[in-house]
Amino acid sequence: MILYVDAGTTWSKVCEFSPCESLFEDKFKKYLKLTKDNRKYYIIPSNLLKNAGFNFTAATGHMSKINLANENNYMNEVIALSKGFLVNNDKKSGLILDLGSRDAKWVKFNNGKFKDLDWNNSCASATGATIEMLLKFYEVSVDELEVTDEKYNITCGIFGLEKIMDDIANGEKANLAISKFLHGIAYNAWSFAKKPKEIYLSGGFCDNKCFTDSLSKYVKVNKLGRFVLLDGLMQEYNNLQLH
Amino acid sequence: MNNKKRRIIGFWGYPSLDLINKYKSIYPNHEWIDLDIDYGCPKLGILPDAYCKIVKNMIYNAIWLKDRIDIIIAPIGKEKCDSGWFAAKLLKDMGFKVEESIYEQLTRRNKISISTSNLPLRKKFELITADIIEQKHPHYEQSKPEFGFWGVPPNDLSVLELFPDNTHVYGWTRCVEAGVPGDIELEMFVDKDVPTVFYAQAFCAKTQLAKYLADKYNGLYVDIDDMVTNSVKYKIEAFIKLR
Repeated sequence: MILYVDAGTTWSKVCEFSPCESLFEDKFKKYLKLTKDNRKYYIIPSNLLKNAGFNFTAATGHMSKINLANENNYMNEVIALSKGFLVNNDKKSGLILDLGSRDAKWVKFNNGKFKDLDWNNSCASATGATIEMLLKFYEVSVDELEVTDEKYNITCGIFGLEKIMDDIANGEKANLAISKFLHGIAYNAWSFAKKPKEIYLSGGFCDNKCFTDSLSKYVKVNKLGRFVLLDGLMQEYNNLQLH
Repeated sequence: MNNKKRRIIGFWGYPSLDLINKYKSIYPNHEWIDLDIDYGCPKLGILPDAYCKIVKNMIYNAIWLKDRIDIIIAPIGKEKCDSGWFAAKLLKDMGFKVEESIYEQLTRRNKISISTSNLPLRKKFELITADIIEQKHPHYEQSKPEFGFWGVPPNDLSVLELFPDNTHVYGWTRCVEAGVPGDIELEMFVDKDVPTVFYAQAFCAKTQLAKYLADKYNGLYVDIDDMVTNSVKYKIEAFIKLR
């Protein structure tokens, strides 16, 4: 069984190479998102994966070293993102922004040549885990979020959370307050990436329409989905021509 | 630090040569201790948590070694920072004997050899800082720069081990080797075609210079508070590998 993993803090993205059913598929069938040729793509809660006892062929991400059969097959996340972007972008030019559970990182290329990068890994304000917690706490579904013109200033995530709580206490609907928070995250992400005119977006926020619509107020957004780092990882370790 | 219980002359930054020579003459058998360095002494909570780690080292090392220190030579001019000036006042107020030093001269210059050598980057920093008190100025084999590291000696020197040996030193550390720690023109000099990491200690005023120069020369801006985190290591590793 060949398994590649982008093991994030809360969610792990896994690609399994297997022509038939496997022990892995048996265990994680409910998390299977996509099947393509002999490849099966899963999105699995990281805490389940960590304790499942599977060894991975190669890995990237915050939690990956735990389950690696050979720790030399670990790839730095920014490098995986870069390689995944180049696999997914014929022009080999542009800026790829990955928004994860707890961090944001971007890399810029021009004709396949590295130009610039940054990685914000300290502040939780610009991350998906905060949004997931807010949605759970206020019992709001992602579909209930709607784009707002107003945005919270969330340079500091703690102040942003305080603003949500204040506004909801004063009668604001929770879905609108969280939407304003999301708008603030979108604006911060764009500013963090040095305000480009076009962004290729990677990560779980690709599935959040309110976020991508908010970001589109500032920049042209191309969604590449949640498997970009996996593509980079597989390209490196299997020399795959994925697209 | 020498483990023998010798009496100590404490200093930080780059004291004036006249004062160094004066106190070598007064205390010929004393050990010179660079209070900037993190020796793992107890954290005393005297300074705010969010404050420059190097200045915390200066104050906490001094208090930790108080029984052995006879004099602290305290740079307070442009070759150090306002925090050095404040630290000198605080330590005097705590009962230390402190001699303030201003060393802003620009004429008495040493030839640069370590910064541009092929020695490991960490070794370069260790030699340059050791040279402040015991000036030797040997010639080292030179290298063509593949990368640059701009900044002060980091609190966590292990970050320097990420770089190849043909990484040249810029910024304040290069000024120290040149014997002109207050030379802002030399501090802002870089080889513009050399990919350079611009480092500053978090909460240090030099973050202003580091961020500006990183943007100007398309380098990588990095600030680190205490010890380097894996994420910062990966960011630097990606910058080096993607170039």
